[in-house]
Amino acid sequence: MRIVKKAQAGTMQSSDLMVFVEPGDELSVEIDSTVKKQFEHLIRQKIDQVLAAQGVTAGMVRVTDRGALDYAIEARLETALKRAGEA
Amino acid sequence: MVTELNCVTDVVAAQDLIEQSGLAFEDGFDDLVGVFENNELVAVGARAGNILKMFAVEPAHRSGDLLGELVTNLVNRGFSAGFDPLFVYTKPEYATSFEALNFSLLASHEQVALLEYGKGLKHWLASLRPLVRPGHNGAVVMNCNPFTLGHRHLVESAARQVDNLYLFVVREDNSVFPFEVRERLVRAGVATIPNVQVLDTSHYAVSNITFPAYFLDEHNPVAVIQMELDLNLFAAQIAPFFVITRRFAGTEPYCDVTGGYNEAMKRVLPAYGIEVVEIERKRSDQAAISASQVRALLARGQFGALAELVPATTLDFLCSAEAAPIREGLQRNRGRH
Repeated sequence: MRIVKKAQAGTMQSSDLMVFVEPGDELSVEIDSTVKKQFEHLIRQKIDQVLAAQGVTAGMVRVTDRGALDYAIEARLETALKRAGEA
Repeated sequence: MVTELNCVTDVVAAQDLIEQSGLAFEDGFDDLVGVFENNELVAVGARAGNILKMFAVEPAHRSGDLLGELVTNLVNRGFSAGFDPLFVYTKPEYATSFEALNFSLLASHEQVALLEYGKGLKHWLASLRPLVRPGHNGAVVMNCNPFTLGHRHLVESAARQVDNLYLFVVREDNSVFPFEVRERLVRAGVATIPNVQVLDTSHYAVSNITFPAYFLDEHNPVAVIQMELDLNLFAAQIAPFFVITRRFAGTEPYCDVTGGYNEAMKRVLPAYGIEVVEIERKRSDQAAISASQVRALLARGQFGALAELVPATTLDFLCSAEAAPIREGLQRNRGRH
């Protein structure tokens, strides 16, 4: 799917994350997390996996995380992508 | 649940809560939101443009995550309204609460801290990396509304004293001449000076975020705090990136705010190893050249007198058809900026 407009999903509550996506020429993923030191690689892995599953190849994805589990990461990112893909 | 506070009684309750927390209630916000419990307002926060502020949580409710709820709501509203990046002003002791929400600290002062949501400053600096030059470098921040021979004199004198001079043009569009025009006239006006790099300040110097009083109110008591915060940000985040060890400014005989800013530079910057160099204003006949004088002459249509105050590149623009709306605007309304 293609990201055609800016969208966001999630909250800043503890154990949740906020996802912002916007159109872009190339795919970039930026991660900010309160547990970045320990888990950035796992968060990134999860995000890359969802992006690949959705067939997203371009756009800017920004994540600010407060210790979300991977189910939450998947759900929030999918929601943001669906919102960004609707014309 | 976070709700919008619209009606008068809610706003009054919000004001009480904000003032009880030792903050000033400022009118002119775009969003004011709060959380009620048993019909009582226990938490409140506001957004004005890209600034989040006036966060107050009733003491008995501080152990929870009400701040996170408020910030989520305001960030969502801000982004939906097209404001990105977002900033927060708060007391220094609360800076860590916002850092826990993934805000990053831009500058801190005895009474106030400024944080940014996201990595705007980092991205902005990264985009400017190609302009970074080695050596003994200086900086000057100018609004140039519009570019005069006075500016030219300042830039020439400063450029002679350093290996490279970074000329930051104030990006914020609060001036008679729009940013795009001011920047173009600066570039044209300094094109013959080889060691000058022209760039803009983005949100991070003399902006609506770092120094709103510059554009608003000359006698605002918070202006001093804002100036120092603006300079802390420059000294701690911007100057090291460009290896800037000198900041230049013109002497300021006319404008209290700019004069005060020069004084604030001398208070703040030396502690960061940045030397402040004031350069005497260039004079035309008896008076020091100023952009406000140029605007006054332009408003009266005295193009002959203008030729002594501005370089040919600026004069050409002032006389052009493109500048007609600016001339008309000046005739109607003559502001400080």
